[in-house]
Amino acid sequence: MPEDLMDLNLPNYFLADLPPEATLSAPMIAEAGTVLKKNREKFLLPRKTGELVDLLCEVGSAWLRPENHFRQLALECGPARTGFSKAVLAKGLDQFFRRFTPENFKSLLEQELGHAERLDRFINGGLACGPKLLVHIAAGNLPNPAMLSLTLGLLTRSAQFMKCASNASFMPRLFAHSIYELDHKLGSCLELAEWRGGMANLESALFSEADCVTATGSNETIASIRAQLPVKTRFIGYGQKVSFGLITREALREETVAQTVAQAADDVIAWDQNGCLSPHVFYVEERGLVESDVFAQKLAVELAQRESGEPRGAISVEESAAITSRRATYEALAAHRGDLKLWASSNSTAWTVVFEHDVRFRVSPLNRFIYVKPVPDLSAVMEGVDEIHGLVSTVGIAASPDKTAELALHFARWGAARICPLGQMQNPPLTWRHDGRSALGELVTWIDFE
Amino acid sequence: MIISECRVSQWHLSPANEDLSNLPFRNFDSLALELFALQFQHNPGYRKICAARGLTPKAVNHWQQIPAVPTSLFKELELTSIPAEERTAVFHSSGTTEQKPSRHFHGPESLAVYEASLGTWFWSHFQSPASHFQLICLTPPPEQAPNSSLVHMFQTVWQKSGGASVLASRAPFVGLIEKDGAWTLDFEAAISVLDNSQSATGHPRLILGTAFSFVHLLDHLAERNLKLKLPAGSQVMETGGYKNRSRSLPKAELHALITERLGVSPENIICEYGMSELSSQAYAGSNGVFGFPLWVRAQIISPETGREVADGQTGLIRIFDLANVFSVAALQTEDLGIRRGSGFELVGRASLAEPRGCSLMNA
Repeated sequence: MPEDLMDLNLPNYFLADLPPEATLSAPMIAEAGTVLKKNREKFLLPRKTGELVDLLCEVGSAWLRPENHFRQLALECGPARTGFSKAVLAKGLDQFFRRFTPENFKSLLEQELGHAERLDRFINGGLACGPKLLVHIAAGNLPNPAMLSLTLGLLTRSAQFMKCASNASFMPRLFAHSIYELDHKLGSCLELAEWRGGMANLESALFSEADCVTATGSNETIASIRAQLPVKTRFIGYGQKVSFGLITREALREETVAQTVAQAADDVIAWDQNGCLSPHVFYVEERGLVESDVFAQKLAVELAQRESGEPRGAISVEESAAITSRRATYEALAAHRGDLKLWASSNSTAWTVVFEHDVRFRVSPLNRFIYVKPVPDLSAVMEGVDEIHGLVSTVGIAASPDKTAELALHFARWGAARICPLGQMQNPPLTWRHDGRSALGELVTWIDFE
Repeated sequence: MIISECRVSQWHLSPANEDLSNLPFRNFDSLALELFALQFQHNPGYRKICAARGLTPKAVNHWQQIPAVPTSLFKELELTSIPAEERTAVFHSSGTTEQKPSRHFHGPESLAVYEASLGTWFWSHFQSPASHFQLICLTPPPEQAPNSSLVHMFQTVWQKSGGASVLASRAPFVGLIEKDGAWTLDFEAAISVLDNSQSATGHPRLILGTAFSFVHLLDHLAERNLKLKLPAGSQVMETGGYKNRSRSLPKAELHALITERLGVSPENIICEYGMSELSSQAYAGSNGVFGFPLWVRAQIISPETGREVADGQTGLIRIFDLANVFSVAALQTEDLGIRRGSGFELVGRASLAEPRGCSLMNA
C-alpha cells in the first residue's frame, strides 16, 4: 500500500489496498466474487432503498466537509496520484457530491424505475432487481464516473467488484473506504482491485462470476471485454465520445461576454478537459458585438489568469509532446495564414487556444487545449461536426433560454446525447443518462407479478 | 540558383571508407549557420516561419537557435528551394492513405547529396564491406513505390554496393503492392533468396525491411513451420513502425523472432531511424542508442519547457541535418526519444499516445 494511505491507518480492506508486490491470482478473484455475493445476501439485500439513499447522502455530505479525512487525503495526495491539481480535484468533487441529496436520488429512482421504491417491492406489478455481482471496468481518466458507478450499484443492492486501470484506483478506493467507514457491512459488499487491462486469467475469473459488467474506455477496450463475456452476462459498455460547445451572438454582447468566457473556461478547466463530456471545440458565431477572435483572445486571458488558482495538473511527457507538436504546427501555419491565431502559455503546456476558420471538428490533445472556430451560422456548425455524427456526448450551449431550447431540439434530432448550458459540460446531474442510456435503469432486471 | 553555386562539392559526402574525421563537419556550427542563411533566402515557406518568430540569419548566432520546422508542415506547405520545374522526385511520408502525406521535393543535386549521405553512414554499421553481402529488400521495387524515400534508399544501397549484388540475377526487392496500396511480400521469392539451401552463392545476406514487413515474413514462416538458415555473417536492418500494417511487436520480441526464424543473432540486427523529410539516417545496434552521422545533430527537447533535456530524460527529437540542403535542415519531429549522450533511444510517436478513458485524443 502506498505510504500516504498507510499513514492514515486505513484498514487494509480491498485488494487494491494490498502492497504493490502482492500478486493477484485468479483464485483470489474468484474467492472475492463468492464472498461478495454472500455478503450481499446477508448485508445488502435486506436494506430498503430509503436507507441506502440516506447512507449515500451521508457519504456525500461527509466528502463536502473540509475536515473530512478522505477529502483531505484526496486533496493532499490526489495531485500526485491522479494528475489533477488540488483546486481541480476540489471543484470536481464538490460538484459531484453536492448532487448527493435525497431529492436528487428520488428523481433518479423515479425517472429510471417509475417509483422510488421499485427496488423494494412490487409496484403496479413490477419489481426491479439489481445483478447479484456487478463488475465495473473503470477507465483511468476521471474519478467521478467510477464513483457514480459504485453509487448506482449500491442502489440496486448489487455486490460490486471494480477493476481499476493501473495507477487509477486512488479515488475509487477512498470513496469505497468512506462507505466502509460509515457502514462496514455495506463496505463488505464492495471490492476494488487494480491491474493493467488485458490480464486474461484475472479477467476471465472475474467475468465468470459476474451477472452484469459495465465498462468505460476506448472502443478497443470495450470490444475486447465484450468478446470475453459469457452470453448470459449483461454488458453495458461506454466507448469513446467527444463533445463541443456552441456560443451564439447573444452570449457575445458586452454585458454577457465576461460570463460566457468564464463558463467556457470552466468547461476547459474542469478535470483538465480529460473526460468525454469536455469540449474539444467551441464554435462561435461571427459578427457578434464581440467578434469570435476577440472571444478566443479573452478565453486565452481567462485560462492564463485561472492557471494560478486552478493549475493544470502534471501530464505525461507523451501528452505534453502531443500538445507541443500540435502547437508548433499551428504556430508555423499561422505565419502563412493571417486568419489563424494561437495563444498559449509560455514555458509550459498549461493552456492553448487555437483560433481557426476551418469549421471541421478537430480532436484536441486535451489537457486545456481548445479550438475556437468562428461560424457564420448553424449550418456551418453542422457541416463541421458531420464527421463526428454518432460520437457526440455533450453539446454545451451559450444562448438565450428560448434559443437554447430551439438548438437543443435541433442537436437532439441530429444525434447528440446531451445538451447543457455552457460551463456545465463536466457537471451532469445524477439523472444524467450516460451516452443516452439509463445509467440506473440498464442495471436492473424487471420481475412482473400478475 | 545560388544554392547550387554554394560550394555544393562541400556538401557532397565522401565514400564509405574515407576517414570521417577528415570531413569538414568539425565545423558544424558555421556550416549550419551558412546553410540556414541560404535556406532563409531561397526557401520562401521556411522564411515566413522564421520571420514570424523573429529568427532571421542576423538574429541567429548558433546552430541550436536555428528555427526547427515541425515535420507535419511538410504536409501543408512546399518547403523547398527547388523550383517546380526542377523537381524530379518527391518523397512522401508513409502515413495512412487518407491522410495528407508529407512532401519532400528533390532534384538531381539534392538526390546526389541524399545518396552520398546515406551510403557513407549506412555501411559503417555493418561488419563486412558491401561487396560481401547479397542484399534482399522486403519492400516493393522503386518503380512501384517512386515516392518512398525508404525504397529509394534501399535502391541506392543496392546500386552502390557493387559486389555480391551482381551475383543476384535480379533486383533484390521481394515486396509487392496490393490493390489497396498496402505493402506485402512475394513470400516464395523472399524464401528462395534467403534460404541458403536453395541458393548457390553462399554469400551472407543483408536483409533490409520495415518492422511490419519482417512481421509479415516471420508470420508466414511460422505458418509454414519454416526456419531458414542464412549463411554465417548475415545481417538484418529493420526500420520504422507498424502503421497498422501488421500486428505490432515490442522490438525485443521482433528481434527474438528474427533470430529464431532467420538465424540472425541479435547483435547482427541493426535498427534504422529515418523519415522522408530527412536526407540522413540514424542507426542503433543492440544497445538501442541511435546515432546520426557527423553532419547531423540531434537534440532531445522537453515538450514542456522547450529546452534540451538532461541525459537520460525523455523529450521530442529535433534534428539538424546538413544533408537537407535544398529543403529545411532544422526539423522538429513528433517522435519521443531518451537522450543518451549525443544519441537517443527511440520511445515512439507523440501523437500516437494512448487514449485515456472515454475521450478521444489525437485521432
